[in-house]
Amino acid sequence: MLRLAEVQSLVRVGIITGEISRLAPLLLGGRYPERRFAIHERNYETSLVAALVTKFPATVWLTGSRFVTEAAHSFVREYPPQAPCIAEYGRTFPRFLSSCPGADRTPYLHDFAELEWHVGRVAIAVDEAAISLHELSSVSADALLDAGFTLQSGFCYVRTSWPVDELMKLYLKDSAPDHFSIDALDVWLELRGARGEFDINRLDAAQYAFRKSISDGRSLGAAAESALLVDAGFDPGQALAALVAAGLVTALQVRRNKS
Amino acid sequence: MKSTQGAPDATGIGLRLPHLAEVVATRPQTGFLEIHPENFLANPHAAELLVELSHHYSISVHTVGISVGSAWGIDRRHLERLRTLVDRINPIFVSGHLAWSTYGSDYLNDLLPLPFNEEALDVATRHVREVQDFLGRPYLIENPASYVGLRSSTMTETEFLCELVNRTQCMLLCDVSNVYVSAHNMGFDAREYLNSLPADAIAELHLGGYTPEEDPANPGGELLIDTHAAAIADPAWALFAYAIRHFGQKPTLIEWDNNIPAFAALVAEAASADDIVSIAMEAHCAAAG
Repeated sequence: MLRLAEVQSLVRVGIITGEISRLAPLLLGGRYPERRFAIHERNYETSLVAALVTKFPATVWLTGSRFVTEAAHSFVREYPPQAPCIAEYGRTFPRFLSSCPGADRTPYLHDFAELEWHVGRVAIAVDEAAISLHELSSVSADALLDAGFTLQSGFCYVRTSWPVDELMKLYLKDSAPDHFSIDALDVWLELRGARGEFDINRLDAAQYAFRKSISDGRSLGAAAESALLVDAGFDPGQALAALVAAGLVTALQVRRNKS
Repeated sequence: MKSTQGAPDATGIGLRLPHLAEVVATRPQTGFLEIHPENFLANPHAAELLVELSHHYSISVHTVGISVGSAWGIDRRHLERLRTLVDRINPIFVSGHLAWSTYGSDYLNDLLPLPFNEEALDVATRHVREVQDFLGRPYLIENPASYVGLRSSTMTETEFLCELVNRTQCMLLCDVSNVYVSAHNMGFDAREYLNSLPADAIAELHLGGYTPEEDPANPGGELLIDTHAAAIADPAWALFAYAIRHFGQKPTLIEWDNNIPAFAALVAEAASADDIVSIAMEAHCAAAG
């Protein structure tokens, strides 16, 4: 008799690949129980394909339902979920989608789907209490340079090689112009969302470098350095004050000075 | 394990994300609300609304991703996230399924059948204990809807469940519709199945809709699929009435997961369940003397 782990291994293979020749003799249920096993295979595939298609409605709008659905069928077989929260499934789907046959007709597909993934994530965030400018002013300038900052969880910084934010805005307005041309262009985006709402804003390259560094947990000094490399005239003090004043910073971590 | 507390009398409703805003805004009357935590753990906004609702409703937490039957063990990260949510909303029940869904790191997004034998019982026992110890509360185990069984089973599903209760002091969530579906599909008597369950261990009942389709294993026959995509069918209502007469009144839940109708339709279905409970309880009390 096979051990439980071996039986479950055969079931897993059957569900993901449809190969059930070794599993079939182990099953019970009617004259041809192996045919009933297809219900589990179907449950797996249809639920996950539906989850992906639902998660990328703008990408469906851009490329058509058939393209995304066919890609999703392949994706769920190659990349099963790694956790039970299906809302988190599909992080790598934009990359997969852009490698599917026919995707080369839409060179900005990856960037667009990636933007949609991030929009979906920030839109369900919840704002927390922000720190005030007063709290900031109580920290010495030296300590501040070494400090780290926590931003609201509904923030995301995305750099794309195409102005996919314009396309996304067309989708959100539910408008489809007769003709829309899109040319490669470096765009630096800040996505901010909470409680079902979101905004997509363009930043200049220096602001993006600064805020992205802060968002990645780097110190103020390191973030300033990144921004100044892009724009020598960048003002880190003003940029930090703007972040705090807008309620985007939820915590300040002052690191102890090295003696 | 401490016993479950504050069980409601009126029938509850499965709260799904499409109804969340409406329920927050209108606060409809219902016995209790039951949620799948997996829909809230990755959605901070929905979790925030759920916490708000927990101040006004009894909440039951019905997991789909704990996988107590998996030979690979419990996903501890998922269990930790579950405990965080449970601590925030203090639910009346936390339940899951007699099934498995994880293999290694793969999550197979379905409730998969277990062989009913000693090895699987040892695995399920270990994992139910782990869940109960970690959450610090009893875990309710739901009977599955079955389409296939495994030849390596050496006991019946109810024998397996009874022994699991004995070994872990877990409680049972009896899905009456699943009993009907499995009895039809696997060829056993639904009432005998209910008679075989330990009534004292049953903490909750579920009712959901099923969808008939042609049975691929028996050409010309019919297979029932536990879709939660249709109204509760008459045979399931009849079996529910039998369950109440047999077990007495238990907190009952109406669940839909697909083709979800307007919330008012769920409220109406819950009211039908309450009506059946009233009539069946007269018979139960009369039989009890």
